[in-house]
Amino acid sequence: MKFKFFILLNLYFLFIQNTLAQSEIVTTLNFIPKFGNAALILNDSTYPKNNGDSIKIESLKFYISNIEFLNNDKVIWQEKNSFHLVDASSATSMKIKLVIPPNITCNKIRFNLGIDSLVNVSGVLGGDLDPTKGMYWTWQSGYINFKLEGKSKKCKTRNNEFHFHLGGYQTPYSALQSITLNINNPEKISVVIDLQKLMNEIDLSKQNKIMSPSSEAVFLSKKISQLFSIK
Amino acid sequence: MKKKLLIFIFCGFCLVAFKLQETIFFTEPINWPKANYDFSKNPLSAQKIELGRALFYEPMLSRNNTISCASCHSQYTAFTHVDHDLSHGIDDRIGTRNSPALMNLAWHKLFMWDGAINHLDVQSLAPINHPDEMDEKIESVVTKLQKSKIYPGLFKKAFGDTVITGEYTLKAISQYMLTLVSANSKYDSVMRKQSTFTAQEKNGYNLFKKNCSSCHKEPLFTNLEFENNGLALDKSLNDFGRMKVTKKNSDSLKFKVPTLRNVEFSYPYMHDGRYKRLSDVLKHYTEKIQTSPTLAKQLQKPIILSSNEKVDLIAFLLTLTDKEFIFNPKFSYPKNIFLPKPQE
Repeated sequence: MKFKFFILLNLYFLFIQNTLAQSEIVTTLNFIPKFGNAALILNDSTYPKNNGDSIKIESLKFYISNIEFLNNDKVIWQEKNSFHLVDASSATSMKIKLVIPPNITCNKIRFNLGIDSLVNVSGVLGGDLDPTKGMYWTWQSGYINFKLEGKSKKCKTRNNEFHFHLGGYQTPYSALQSITLNINNPEKISVVIDLQKLMNEIDLSKQNKIMSPSSEAVFLSKKISQLFSIK
Repeated sequence: MKKKLLIFIFCGFCLVAFKLQETIFFTEPINWPKANYDFSKNPLSAQKIELGRALFYEPMLSRNNTISCASCHSQYTAFTHVDHDLSHGIDDRIGTRNSPALMNLAWHKLFMWDGAINHLDVQSLAPINHPDEMDEKIESVVTKLQKSKIYPGLFKKAFGDTVITGEYTLKAISQYMLTLVSANSKYDSVMRKQSTFTAQEKNGYNLFKKNCSSCHKEPLFTNLEFENNGLALDKSLNDFGRMKVTKKNSDSLKFKVPTLRNVEFSYPYMHDGRYKRLSDVLKHYTEKIQTSPTLAKQLQKPIILSSNEKVDLIAFLLTLTDKEFIFNPKFSYPKNIFLPKPQE
């Protein structure tokens, strides 16, 4: 008798779960890298800088984590296991699918640019956090939060390359940034990241290589967090 | 009805007990501190350990498929590289440090002489990627393993998946390294009251407790901290140790305190392998300490040992040799995987 009851109970829960699943909606968080008004195209396009310099961008990759929706500063939804590698060379990576409950009211989205310290000390992880993604420092443990590479004649380096690998999770060189943006509705969100503002502030003849946690990395990470805006 | 239920519960217990029996691959020796590694995030299994063992001996981890982990961490010398002060890697390139002996890693929190690595799982990335060691990328290691004959099958057995990832590869290597527990030296059997020290060893042990054990803390024979042990800076290397990682002046010239277990086999000694013999090491501590602002406080006062006392101390250090560990066939080259017997 009891056994039958258990089966019925289980079926009931399965049913509930299914109806719940059906009532969720999928929304897209779309990242659009730009250089001023121009769309960012890796490798081919040349972009002008304010000092007469012109640059090419060859790689742009960054981690977006802990995505949350807020309504009047109150968190109303959080993504679980929220770690996404956004890579300008992969169109699918720039469209993050979020499964959210329907009809939520919110006016802000908040996410981290980078990977928090807890994850940084948790050993090896999979998916977008797998060290094969090229966003993990091998000689000193820690994730690279933001990677920007390219070329400029101003760089007196091998092949005129510049490399900005920004990361670091330990104080005083914690590079993680929290970004909050105002939104109207959570159903389709497009976030522009404008690299022109960043590149105009960097003198590539002097600063063209950051590849370890440092005060410079923290400074640039703060600047980068201000490049994000809602389209 | 009740009887049936009891039988059912009993069977359940048996199953759980059987399961437990099956899954014990790591135990903390009696009176040892709790291991630091979080096994719940990477539960050990026979298949994963076996895969990790194969990877440890796998030269595909290096750019030109010539160097494996075992090249610099040979079991028969306590999983380190002997005869060379600085270990050499790919294309006979020479690194800047002496490879550390691998054992009891489950208790360690930070890795490398300077603690640059914060977790055992990500430790192997450093030698794989270092240009003087294996000079390879984990991405291409995964690609090579995926194309090989044996590995997709081994990963399937271990992780239930023929798709190889960096996560699986590194977790498997960790599993093997976690099993490298050395806790069966003569010292250990004396502590367990199963044997006794000779008079000389006993005197050596007392000298050890008086002069060495605050850094080389029992039972791991390391306090797992970073200390400046008064070595003069080698100007050809300019290695300031931990300071490079923390960027703090107070960490200048500090290196991780190495374990003294199996020290008989793990020569040469120090981060740059500058001393070949244990007697050289004792000479350093008694005669050659360089004072500097970061010198370990334990070394501020000179250590005085007579030549007889030095002999006794070395006699004690030799009781830390664990032959069962050094010659354990479970840790050695996995012939069964790499050189399968031809089918009859």
